[in-house]
Amino acid sequence: MEKHLNRVMEEITNQPGVYGCVLSDHQGLCLGAHGQASTESSGVITALAEQALKLEPKSVMPIISLENDNRQLIIRRHGVLTCGIYKSVCN
Amino acid sequence: MGCCYSFFCNDDSSSQAGEPTERTHLLVNPVSINTTVVHANSEDYIFRNANTLPKKTDEQSALNRILQETATNVIDVAALDSHNLQHHEYLERMKHYNVKVQQVMGNNRNALSYKVKLSLLQDIPMPEKVMMSEPINPEDIKLINSFLSSAVASIQDIKVEHKENLVEPFGINC
Repeated sequence: MEKHLNRVMEEITNQPGVYGCVLSDHQGLCLGAHGQASTESSGVITALAEQALKLEPKSVMPIISLENDNRQLIIRRHGVLTCGIYKSVCN
Repeated sequence: MGCCYSFFCNDDSSSQAGEPTERTHLLVNPVSINTTVVHANSEDYIFRNANTLPKKTDEQSALNRILQETATNVIDVAALDSHNLQHHEYLERMKHYNVKVQQVMGNNRNALSYKVKLSLLQDIPMPEKVMMSEPINPEDIKLINSFLSSAVASIQDIKVEHKENLVEPFGINC
């Protein structure tokens, strides 16, 4: 059932630099989280993706990148799914 | 009524030589009082002067008096307005109104900004800093796109597999 989804999230988290990922549906409910990503962040991630989509509604779904000095969060929405990937940035 | 009044007024002025009666005007002409001229119409001056064969200077002085009398009676509203507002007064009022507008804007900043704020984007002080920031890494785009596509595919695989009966009978044995 959700084994495939868990395996996909595990593969993503094993990528270099990635330390967590989260998946949520269109209402912000968490579908799955892996690594150091909290399930509570799914609502915020979905809301961010919705707000970013309002900037240019006719264009494709935007990729949102939130950064600080050593961490990065990449968000993208596709259909009803919103995913977020936590990465560590080494300068 | 107005015709009767004017008729009697003219009669009074000619017969009683401007002495105050119940029909004389309340607002008398100050020029005519000072110069002790009979309060009468301007036509009477001309006729009287013409009948008594005056000199040219008398006629001229009578005309000047009429002109002066008329000038004192006239109230020039436009001239009063222009006199009141000088150029520096315009500037002073402009400064005063600007100060007032700034005060109102400062007091109601929250309410006004709530009405004006219709767009999601706000002005930022140094836009070139944001514009000069590096775009997102292509590898990250590839990473999140692959994650999304595989996640969508895996979500579609999720199906409810019921192993037991969805409807459980209760209390049928008895």
